[in-house]
Parts: sequence; structure tokens; C-alpha cells
Amino acid sequence: MTVAEERIVRLEELARRAARSGEPDLARRYVRRARRIAERNRLPLPKRFKRFTCDRCDRYLVPGRTARVRTRSGHVVVTCDCGEQARYPY
Amino acid sequence: MTPETLVRHELAGLDVTVADASNPDIVGIGGRVRDETMKTLLVATGDGVKQVPKAGATFRFALEECDVVIEGETLLARPARRSETHRGSLWQ
Repeated sequence: MTVAEERIVRLEELARRAARSGEPDLARRYVRRARRIAERNRLPLPKRFKRFTCDRCDRYLVPGRTARVRTRSGHVVVTCDCGEQARYPY
Repeated sequence: MTPETLVRHELAGLDVTVADASNPDIVGIGGRVRDETMKTLLVATGDGVKQVPKAGATFRFALEECDVVIEGETLLARPARRSETHRGSLWQ
């Protein structure tokens, strides 16, 4: 595992902890840095990272607190507090 | 994370103390790294968050196995840029 991959994993962990302890702006900084490292090193982001971050405002999402998670026919809709919606199939 | 890769790795979440610095007021500041900018580290101490310049300071990072002492000058870069090894990177 390269340093860049390890950093993305660690930043996700830090972002999750910051978001859960009520520091969304700190979590956002970690999320943005993880994205930046991934794009500059041409690495994929982990699936959990993609599902629990907002593409528009880079928030780390906490279902029930900062995000609404609803099922529709064939897919899950995750709505961020900023209004952005993301879908994935089930 | 090993002592060799620390300068290329994520510093947020590590425990750090300022071992030495050109500014005597910041020597001895210790705590958990909260965030990083191009030229400073934000350290969460028992006495609030302190913003410490990297230039001119020597940091002691506490890893699980050992402590690593690093000159702040080697960390002077945008946080995401330090992991890179190509295109003229200084962090081979």
C-alpha cells in the first residue's frame, strides 16, 4: 500500500470522527484533502468515502443528522443538508 | 506509517511537541495535530488550538514504536503535495 492510499484511509477515519463529534468544517477539510490526494495520484476513493461524503459541499455525512437516507424502487437516495442528492442501486 | 515515510504522510491526528524553534515562545507547545496548512501546523493543546509555523521549528512526532524528530523546513509544502514522488517532488 502506498503512502497516498494510506493517507486517504486515515483522512477518511479522521473526517468521520470529526463529523461525529460535531466539527463539520474540520471534517470538510479532511474530505477535501483526501479528494485532492486521490486525484493527484490517480487513485480511486474507497466506496464508503464516496457514499458518505457530499459531492457538492464536501461534507462528511452522518445519516439521520446531516443526511437523509431514503429507499426508492431499486436505489437508495442520500440527500445532504445542502440539497445535493446522490443515488446508488441496491 | 514508519519514521521514514512520516514526512510524506498525513500529520493530522498525530501527537507532536515543538522541540526547538527560532521563536522561544512556541517551544514546548504539544498536543494533537488538528490541521495543516502550507506553512503552519494547527496543534490542539490543552490551552486551545495553536498555529505553529513550520519554518524554523523542530518537531517531535510520537508514533507507536518511537519518536521522530523532524525539521519543520522539510514539511514546507501544501499538505496534499507532500505524498508525491514525481514531477520534481522533493519528497522521494
